[in-house]
Amino acid sequence: MNGYINVCDVEKYYGSEAGMTKAVDRVSFQVDEGEFVGVMGASGSGKTTLLNMLATIDNVTAGHIYYQETDITELKPDRLAKFRKENLGFVFQDYNLLDTLTIGENIVLAMTLQKKGKKEIKKESEEMMRLLGIWEIRNQFPYQVSGGQKQRCACARALINHPKLLLADEPTGALDSRAAETLLETFQRLNETRKATIFMVTHDAFSASYCSRILFLKDGKIFHELVRGQKGRREFLNCILDVLSVTGGEGDAR
Amino acid sequence: MLAKLALRNVRRSAKDYLVYFFTMTVVVALMFAFNSLIFSGEVHDMFQGVEVMEVMLGLATFFIVLIVAWLINYMIRFILEKRSREFGIYLLLGMEKRQIARLYMRESVLLGAGAFLAGLVFGVLVQQILMSILYSMVLSDFRINIEFSRGCLIMTASCYAGCYLLALLRCKRKLKKMNIHGLMNAERQNEEIKESHEGLKRWLLPLSVLFLALFGAWLFYGKEWGTHTIILFLVGLVLVIYLFYMGLSAWIISYVRHEGNAIYAGQNLFLLRQFASKIRTMRFTMGTLTALFVLAFLGCSVAMMFNFYENQMLGDKMPFDIHIHSAYVEDDFATELSVIENNVPIKEAYAYHIYENGTDVVNVWLYTHLKVFGDAYRKADGTPDLEAIRGERDFAAYCRYDTYMGISDYNHLRKLLGLDTVALADDEYIIHIKDRVFRETGDFSDQLAIEGNGGALRFAGFHTEPFSQDGHNGGDYVIVVSDDEIAKMRPFYAQLAVELGGETPEDLRNLLDDATRELDFKTSDPISDIDITAMLNETECVGSDSILVWGANNLVRDNILVEMKCMLSTMIFPLTYIGLVFLCVALTVLSVQQLSDSAKYKFRYKVLRQIGMGAKEIAGLVLKQLFLFYLCPALFAAVIGGIIAGYVGGKFNFYAGVRTPAAVYFGISLMLFLGVYSVYFVVTYVGFLRNIESGR
Repeated sequence: MNGYINVCDVEKYYGSEAGMTKAVDRVSFQVDEGEFVGVMGASGSGKTTLLNMLATIDNVTAGHIYYQETDITELKPDRLAKFRKENLGFVFQDYNLLDTLTIGENIVLAMTLQKKGKKEIKKESEEMMRLLGIWEIRNQFPYQVSGGQKQRCACARALINHPKLLLADEPTGALDSRAAETLLETFQRLNETRKATIFMVTHDAFSASYCSRILFLKDGKIFHELVRGQKGRREFLNCILDVLSVTGGEGDAR
Repeated sequence: MLAKLALRNVRRSAKDYLVYFFTMTVVVALMFAFNSLIFSGEVHDMFQGVEVMEVMLGLATFFIVLIVAWLINYMIRFILEKRSREFGIYLLLGMEKRQIARLYMRESVLLGAGAFLAGLVFGVLVQQILMSILYSMVLSDFRINIEFSRGCLIMTASCYAGCYLLALLRCKRKLKKMNIHGLMNAERQNEEIKESHEGLKRWLLPLSVLFLALFGAWLFYGKEWGTHTIILFLVGLVLVIYLFYMGLSAWIISYVRHEGNAIYAGQNLFLLRQFASKIRTMRFTMGTLTALFVLAFLGCSVAMMFNFYENQMLGDKMPFDIHIHSAYVEDDFATELSVIENNVPIKEAYAYHIYENGTDVVNVWLYTHLKVFGDAYRKADGTPDLEAIRGERDFAAYCRYDTYMGISDYNHLRKLLGLDTVALADDEYIIHIKDRVFRETGDFSDQLAIEGNGGALRFAGFHTEPFSQDGHNGGDYVIVVSDDEIAKMRPFYAQLAVELGGETPEDLRNLLDDATRELDFKTSDPISDIDITAMLNETECVGSDSILVWGANNLVRDNILVEMKCMLSTMIFPLTYIGLVFLCVALTVLSVQQLSDSAKYKFRYKVLRQIGMGAKEIAGLVLKQLFLFYLCPALFAAVIGGIIAGYVGGKFNFYAGVRTPAAVYFGISLMLFLGVYSVYFVVTYVGFLRNIESGR
């Protein structure tokens, strides 16, 4: 296996034998280190299920997922939690920040759970908050800041422990276009400067245009793949829209 | 349709608020069981002083109705808040406010009625347990006998309905004021955490602690207690109970804000923030819960004091099977002996005299030195107020003169009680004194001058075994001298000690009282030159006991014990009743709060899972979180309750003579508390985990 992350013949079925739904059907792909991969598809195409399996919060019915040498489908629940803690970061559409903690504390908590020292926590969290432009609002509670700021806080929390993979599920879904753009630029910057590996699920073509590679999912299967290569973002967006117009997927060109 | 909806909603709320339903069931069961004590025909026949019990239980019921009404009101409003969105949708769909109010009221009444019926069934069981405790306390055999008196049922139902009525009336006002926007947003209201002036507010915590320390010092060491001081401290205590939580929350927030070291360890940051925000939004409720816990602690502790008194002291109060006092020194007790013999075989009867020699040295010393008398018998310059000591004779602690006994009589009585005899030289004396009094006085023989015929007698020791010293073998004490010395003194009054050869008949004391009353009447001869009133007054005393004083000529131990225990039960039962109900009410509020939070904020635990916490770690975190939340008001209440119970227990021991350390009363209450507490804690913990696991 050459990839950083290898997904091999993964299947996910729901329901009983009588009424089986194949949410993900024999999907295989690789993600390289430092890659920014997007997954697109219509509602019900299986993209969130796929992300959840990569995120270890859902089990595969069959197949294997390797993070370098580790097969996460073989890990016991306790090991999985440890693996999640040490290797993965999450950004979700609804931010999932803890409402009793301030913006800064939300980031600090992720580090204290890793049993890091006070000095390291203070230094790294400040660095990260400054990088994402949320240092000034560190003492505010989530309900006091905007959606974009909340999402950047979620990003900071997801990346603070240097995960092998950042998983983002419709991260711009609840943001206005300006905040969405800022967030996606942040993702891109993190990908370029910190070599963060990002796996993002979206149904929005504009968001997807920031990725370096896009997998298109339909009825649980990968039916197409687009690589950005040397193309500019707008050019890549047009390619995505072309694919979507063929498949009848949702598109949003800005 | 509405009825169907109400029924379905009740089923759902009953599941969601199982703890509340359970507590209401327990409250009904307790109400029914305790009320049945008032209405039970059997209890009426068996127990004297049942009227006192009725009054005490009535008083307890009054407070319980108020507190349960508070719980119902709290719960109805709480459920209303939790379901506000649902009610908002009803309004949006076009339902009228009146209809919704009726629907909600109907649901509450249905839920209440369900708990009432369940409580009655459970109540029959509690009634039996209560009866068996009452019977075992008063030494009778208990046979299971289910009583379902109409009066008891009506009283329980009316108390319960009273609670509901009080609560619903208050809630109706809230329902009237609701509007769609308010209802749709009510759920979100307490999510906003406003932090302001934390730096100032946090000083409330050390101030509260300081106040408690002062309160404790004032209780234990304070001398002058003016009414103003007492009111000031009580108002302060109530304020402190409420302000403490504001201070605690602010202190934690400040600590977190100032990045204290502890927040960088493990899950502490989450725990501290969670705890601080919860007690901040609930500070008033937390204060009320603390007050309830304190009252529950105190109720149980005082009940324990009386229970220990009953177990330790009552038996000691009357060591002889029968002990009869007569002011007539020539009394041969023929009438009494024949009454006894007609009812039960006598193993041994011993008639003797208590003597006096016209002195009151020991009386004066005790009147002026025992704390129980304070300064009542001392003049302003500290010298004995002999006029007061010798003048007033109603319910006197001591007889007119010091009480003496001959060594032969003394040793005979000791043998009768199974004690070793003692030797005494002609020029010696010993003092047999109550253990409680001796513990206070210590050896005070060097301050006494007991004169015999040939000059001062030599002191030969104290004896403190139980010796019937509530006016029979003296009040508190009797001085034992040689038979030669006693022969030169005047007989003061006559005594008869009897050891029975069979079981004491239930009405023996009444028979004896009737017989001696006739005797008194016959001897009240106007032609006789004896001043009967003066003679009775001079020889009658009750000693210095003050918790339970039983002054009577005819002491029939087994009869009087039953009556004394009945009297004590009138304190023990209502106090336990109050303690239990208050405890259950407070724990229910804690439980329901946490359970509903676990459903409302389960996303918090989902987030923790996502940032890498395993199921076991989360279960551990929930345990810690619940522990903090449950422990805080309990611990705070235990400190306040402990201070007050320690003080009251100390005073109680001082007056009652019980040897148990004051801390034990509180300790036992604490154990009882922990028992009930663990039940609620486990139920909440399991429910909490189930709630956050659901929908994973």
